[in-house]
Amino acid sequence: MDFKIYKEPQLKDPYMVTGLPGIGHVAKISADYLIEELKAELFEEIYSPSFPPYVLISKDGVVELLKNEFYYWKNTKLKNDLIIFTGNVQALTPEGQYEIAKEVLNRAEKFKVKKLFTMAAYVTNKPVTKPKVYGAVTHVELLEELKKYEVIQMDVGGISGTNGLIFGLAKLKNIPAICLLSETPGYVTSSGYAVIDPKAAQSLLEVLCKMLDIEIDLKPIEERVKMAEEFIQQLEEKEKYWRELIRKSTTPSPPKDIYL
Amino acid sequence: MTWVKYFEEPLVKEPIAIVGSPGLRSIGKLAIEFLIKKFQPKLIAELYSEHFPIQHGTIPSYVAHPDYPGQAGVWIHESQITIPKVEFYYLKDPELLLTKGYHANFQGQYEVAKKVLDVYEKFNVKRMIVLAGYGIGNKDVCCAATDIKLIKEMKKYGIETEYEGAFYGFSGLVFGLGKLRGIKGVCLFGRTQPNPEDPEYPDLKVAKILLKKLSAILNISIEDINMNSEL
Repeated sequence: MDFKIYKEPQLKDPYMVTGLPGIGHVAKISADYLIEELKAELFEEIYSPSFPPYVLISKDGVVELLKNEFYYWKNTKLKNDLIIFTGNVQALTPEGQYEIAKEVLNRAEKFKVKKLFTMAAYVTNKPVTKPKVYGAVTHVELLEELKKYEVIQMDVGGISGTNGLIFGLAKLKNIPAICLLSETPGYVTSSGYAVIDPKAAQSLLEVLCKMLDIEIDLKPIEERVKMAEEFIQQLEEKEKYWRELIRKSTTPSPPKDIYL
Repeated sequence: MTWVKYFEEPLVKEPIAIVGSPGLRSIGKLAIEFLIKKFQPKLIAELYSEHFPIQHGTIPSYVAHPDYPGQAGVWIHESQITIPKVEFYYLKDPELLLTKGYHANFQGQYEVAKKVLDVYEKFNVKRMIVLAGYGIGNKDVCCAATDIKLIKEMKKYGIETEYEGAFYGFSGLVFGLGKLRGIKGVCLFGRTQPNPEDPEYPDLKVAKILLKKLSAILNISIEDINMNSEL
């Protein structure tokens, strides 16, 4: 694994928020939005051999490696600074996912993170009008916090990938952590790409910001929500059309003449 | 494990690495093989890896996946044995380090690219030109670079950016990880027609167009390109 350190920030009682790309890009959108709105500063990048073996060529033609990133934000109003962990990819192998999760938690220990907030998607496999936010905790006393912010306790289920492992390994390291999961239909395009879901991210951010006790403008994300909804509507209409077409082609037409 | 066997260690100044590997319509591979045949550079090193299959688990070979590591082994040609490898050739004038790449499986892709960059550092490579193909767009040759300044430099040769998205495999990772190590470079993409049945089916015509652009950048003469007979 390779690391590029830009800065060694001095942080006061920081919270940490983590969100890598996953289903609906819910966690990634939320992390990116926080970074954008808070103007958080990049301080470290991680490159892993378990990332998919390709590079990205951006619109302006500049090559970029796949990477995971740490940002920080100094909170001038309240006591807790913030570390945000995100990236443009998740490690593909379980070994790589564990390695990355451990690196994240090493940073959490290094910066004496007070509380960790991991983000993930809660797949419903059906349309979602107003995404509900579910939660899970590493320590029983944190359940009170879920109740306080009207987060539904997640009874059963799994959180796959690095987003889940960061949360799980935090418990082993005795780092207090809350995982917030926002409802998403989990739509996938015909070519296998997950449809991004800013609406789920919006619901998640509403809760997260209250928990972090920070204020950010959530209006700009509404525009993205509208665009995504239009896209999903088109997708649903197409799906309906094709389903109907398949149904018609597989249903045998009744015989024209019936002789008894 | 990935290791390098050195045959010769020439006294170098600052060679430019030219990179080509199997890939879309074999454009990068054809171009680098042509340059090796044309200029007869010295083979100075070979890189071997336990992650080099002789039969890749994915089609095309550059789209590696952890579940499909491929089949390890060697090739026999005219009773002679060949092991999968990356080859490094040194040309004194113009000073080039020609690199004929090979795709490792998923477990080795990053490891191999890093080892290639160790070789570049050993031979004081500061710049690289990667040769590859792309399957969409309108331009004959387009480019990507490690920084905007180099992209502007390419405009002097009539090469614009157009390729946007993922660049897979050996050449992509050498290019990207090279940037991380401070090696500046450009990638020239020759536009080709994808062939879904055989993605690496050679496109000689596009490889030739790509080489003409490269010759302008390097100020070398390869006007008498006859790829059919040279390769």
